[in-house]
Amino acid sequence: MKHNTILIVDDEQKYVEMLARRLELRGLKCSYCFNGNDGIRMITDNYYNLVILDLRLPDLYGTEVLIEMRKIRPDIKILILTGHGSDKDREDCMASGAFSFMRKPLDIEQLMTIMTQINEVEE
Amino acid sequence: MKQKFHSFFFILWPRFFRELSEHIIPYLTFNNYPRIWVRGILILVSTSLIPLFVMTGIYYQLIEKSIDNALILRTERVASNTRRAVSFFFEERLAALKFMVNDRDYKDLINPTQLSEILKNLKLGFGGLTDLSVIDYNGTQLTYAGPYNLEGKDYSQQNWFLECQKRNAYVSEVFSGYRGVPHIVVAVKHTRPDGNFFIIRATLETERLFNAVTSYKSGTYADIFMINHDGVVQSPSKYYEKKTRRISIEVPEYSSRTKALLTKDRKGIPVIVSYAFINTSITPTPFILIVVKEKEGVSVMKIWLGLKTNFNLFLAISAMVIVLIMSLTATSLINKIYFADRSKAEAMLSAEQKGQLASIGQLAAGVAHEINNPLALINETAGYIKDLFVIKSQYQDDPELIEQIDVILDAVERCGAITRQLLGFARQLDVESRSLNLKVMMTNLLSFFQKEAEYRNISILLDVEDGTPSIETDRKKLQQILLNLINNAFQAMDKDGNLSIKIGIVGTDMVRISIEDSGCGIEEHHLNKIFDPFFTTKQEGKGTGLGLSITFGLVKKLHGNISVNSKVGEGTTFVITLPINFKKEEKHENSTG
Repeated sequence: MKHNTILIVDDEQKYVEMLARRLELRGLKCSYCFNGNDGIRMITDNYYNLVILDLRLPDLYGTEVLIEMRKIRPDIKILILTGHGSDKDREDCMASGAFSFMRKPLDIEQLMTIMTQINEVEE
Repeated sequence: MKQKFHSFFFILWPRFFRELSEHIIPYLTFNNYPRIWVRGILILVSTSLIPLFVMTGIYYQLIEKSIDNALILRTERVASNTRRAVSFFFEERLAALKFMVNDRDYKDLINPTQLSEILKNLKLGFGGLTDLSVIDYNGTQLTYAGPYNLEGKDYSQQNWFLECQKRNAYVSEVFSGYRGVPHIVVAVKHTRPDGNFFIIRATLETERLFNAVTSYKSGTYADIFMINHDGVVQSPSKYYEKKTRRISIEVPEYSSRTKALLTKDRKGIPVIVSYAFINTSITPTPFILIVVKEKEGVSVMKIWLGLKTNFNLFLAISAMVIVLIMSLTATSLINKIYFADRSKAEAMLSAEQKGQLASIGQLAAGVAHEINNPLALINETAGYIKDLFVIKSQYQDDPELIEQIDVILDAVERCGAITRQLLGFARQLDVESRSLNLKVMMTNLLSFFQKEAEYRNISILLDVEDGTPSIETDRKKLQQILLNLINNAFQAMDKDGNLSIKIGIVGTDMVRISIEDSGCGIEEHHLNKIFDPFFTTKQEGKGTGLGLSITFGLVKKLHGNISVNSKVGEGTTFVITLPINFKKEEKHENSTG
């Protein structure tokens, strides 16, 4: 599989590790960080097929990170994954160019479907 | 019809008698609507009816007084005219007798033939004369001319003879005497040159006199008659002739002039009585002329009484209409006040309830969010374990598995902690007025804002003075008050704020809780309005304007006070003082108030 790199930005370490393991079991290559600024730095240095981004981060709000990342890489695909997101958050994120919006607890099969879609588009 | 009556009655019957639910009573501005209603009606009705009745009464009196005066004058005139006629009747006859005794010789007079001649001439002149007689100073009748032969009769002991002797002339009452026919005697005394006197006496038929009197009578309710000085009726009378022949009004006091007065007869009928003592220039008579008019019988009076009935009817209808309109006005006004008051009270009540629900709802939402993160973790961990089973086959001897299960258990423990906290809070809400540690309570409350504070980088400082006692109060209400104020503080602050809560003691029996935020502050001209119901500076639809008003009400219910200090851009401080013993305050209030 060619397009298989994912960046997870979420402040809950245990959660991130667990999600990464599960995705790796499915053949994806995962990187992660625990705050927005790190996330922005990482996408500047590396290429990711998908960024999984939480909204509540200790330093920046998810939408700010989203906008910042899109400035750096306008074609970047960002999936918002949040436990707190309101409908307004969803609207804001979609308007700011998020690729998708999902709520925790995550349905991993749905995420895999999205991954497949991305691969198809990129091929 | 019955339905209509009911619905009409319903308009008059104010709403607050029908629908007053107990819950809203404490929120009403006025608490005794029935009393306000009754007072309103009484004031409106009396201010409109009293002047009406007083004016009508005065008007009636004026009219009746002037009618009475007119009636008295009129009756007096009738009496005066009749009196002149009657006096003249007697005077004429006495004068004729006087002329006769001076004109004729004594010898002529004691001659029966001559006397008969004189009687004949007098009859031609005056008529109504029955007989003539001459009586000597002994009282013996000397000559008699007339239909009854009474010659030689002795009158010496009779009253009239004695009276005539005294006064030189005499007019008798009406009497029947020896003849059995009512008549009047007139007599004149004449002294002869030898010093002896004689009396000439004439008997008059009463018919002419009575005709003269009754000719002045007018109308069915009037009566003219004569009485003697003892009140015995002397001439035909419509009312008083019959049985006792005594008049049913008082015999008036002597007066030389015609007089009139208003009185009531013995049956209680109001009458106008005019009377005149009849005297001639020659001698007084025993007669009193009486004119009686029944007031109701006089035409002016009749017209007035008819009018008065109409007036009274009109007055009664007006009074009824006034009472009705005033009652309706009072009812509708007070109903309107009541409705306004009730809707205000309902808004307060529902806002208080909603305020409570909103806070608990807010809590629940917060809790749900907090639980969501551990749940997400459980989800992924459990998912990973499942993955290990499904995707990898080396599950059996993998020590990692145990590790992951620990993660799950840890996450579950976190959920449990949050749930316990929530349950503990809910349990506290059920307890009313029990010894309450403010520090514990505040710490519990603040834990619900912890995440929010962390996220927005708001630092929370809780400072409880040493020696602050536990207080006796209504836990639910105090929690609501503090939740509202802390919530307000959080709403006022952006990122990086400071919330400082200080608890201390004031005097010996009060505690003081100050909640200070570094938020946007309140403009000075808004400060005195922030506790008013429906006052809000938030955008339309964002705030009800009731939060602080309810908080204020709750503080008052706990016998406490709340004050505010604020500076735009620097922050706001709310200070609550509460009695240490709420029950004691309540008792104190009951005994003094």
